[in-house]
Amino acid sequence: MNEFSFAQNFSIIALNTQRSLLLSNEKRVILRCIAAAVILEIYLNNKQDETLTLEKKDLVRSSIEIYQIPVLNAFLGKNETVSHTLPYFLAEVTKLSRKVLKEIEQAFAGSLKEVKAIEEIEALLGCDYLYVSAGITIKEYRSRADLYTRLTESLRAEILEEGEMTEEALLMLWLLRESGCLHDLFSKEELKRVAARSIELFNRHPLAKKLFPIFIHRISEMGIKNFLKLKKEIMSMPTGTGIAFVFPAIERTESVFIDTEEFFPSKETRLHDVKARLESHGHHFSIIRNGAVPLIKVDNTLYEAVPSFINYEVVIHGVRLRRYPLSL
Amino acid sequence: MSRQRSMEKILASEFVSIGELVRLTGSRYSTLKFYTEEGMLPFEQESENLTRRFPREKAIAKIEEIKKLKNQGLSIPEIKMILAKNL
Repeated sequence: MNEFSFAQNFSIIALNTQRSLLLSNEKRVILRCIAAAVILEIYLNNKQDETLTLEKKDLVRSSIEIYQIPVLNAFLGKNETVSHTLPYFLAEVTKLSRKVLKEIEQAFAGSLKEVKAIEEIEALLGCDYLYVSAGITIKEYRSRADLYTRLTESLRAEILEEGEMTEEALLMLWLLRESGCLHDLFSKEELKRVAARSIELFNRHPLAKKLFPIFIHRISEMGIKNFLKLKKEIMSMPTGTGIAFVFPAIERTESVFIDTEEFFPSKETRLHDVKARLESHGHHFSIIRNGAVPLIKVDNTLYEAVPSFINYEVVIHGVRLRRYPLSL
Repeated sequence: MSRQRSMEKILASEFVSIGELVRLTGSRYSTLKFYTEEGMLPFEQESENLTRRFPREKAIAKIEEIKKLKNQGLSIPEIKMILAKNL
């Protein structure tokens, strides 16, 4: 079994389903968190002193990981050595330029692709009827399913279970909060437990006390992210889902439409056509629950396949995919 | 607060946590929690910090057995009965 480092573990979780060719707002936030994960990894390995010292000579050491180099270079600049507290370094990741973020992405994606921990595939949105008929290809990252499950589920176990939590889990919890990935891993009910656990940790552990008040985001980006989050939340509510069905352009990624061959398809035909389309685009497909609205797992994400249709000159019957919270 | 144990150390220890059991078997946390609540997995309750400790070898063997029985198409009550008989 391959063991990955702390920063690599976080990037396997965070890069999953991110567009690979585009530096979106969401991916910028995630790449900053990956840079923070590198700093936290160095902090964990350096006996956890109050101040953290980065040195230029670290870059030529054999123990240095390739993915750490762009982050260390960005912090060191022309200096031989940089010494500050952990909160200072973490706050500094917000100032990383687009160029550095791209370098970080390449370093992480490259090292993880080499060991087959992630791969680049056609995006789920590329399976949508409109994209297929227009011949548009969109690429995204997909983490290896078994690895992703092991990582996320062991993290869920540590956070949701009573008892002592490891330092890695605490740091990961903060990174997930800052990168906005918490909603991908926990259901609404579980998030209440996560919030209670965070408060408990904040009151008890010095590391949580130091870390939890730090926010690594830019106000403008957070504004956009909050707007998108709000939009996504509204679209996930019963009324919102209805609106997304009528106006899919509002939240395109949450409303992938897959057309069926038959005019009035049965539930079996629908599912068969969805499976064929997804697999032809290189996605892993498995059925979790059967029925009129089946629950399916595409790569590492759960969706409900809701029967639907779109109105053009003729009516096109098919299925819309609706995101389902991970926990079952 | 302690560091996460390396896989080497986990594989060498007699007892593991539920999170480590997930790392070892690749099963879902909620699934293992369900098996534990149903009394299908052996564990020891630590009174001090309320954590459950699982005997590594026995628990992994049990999970493998449950997976095998599930693949044969058996339901959870049926699996529970078989596991109870095997005790």
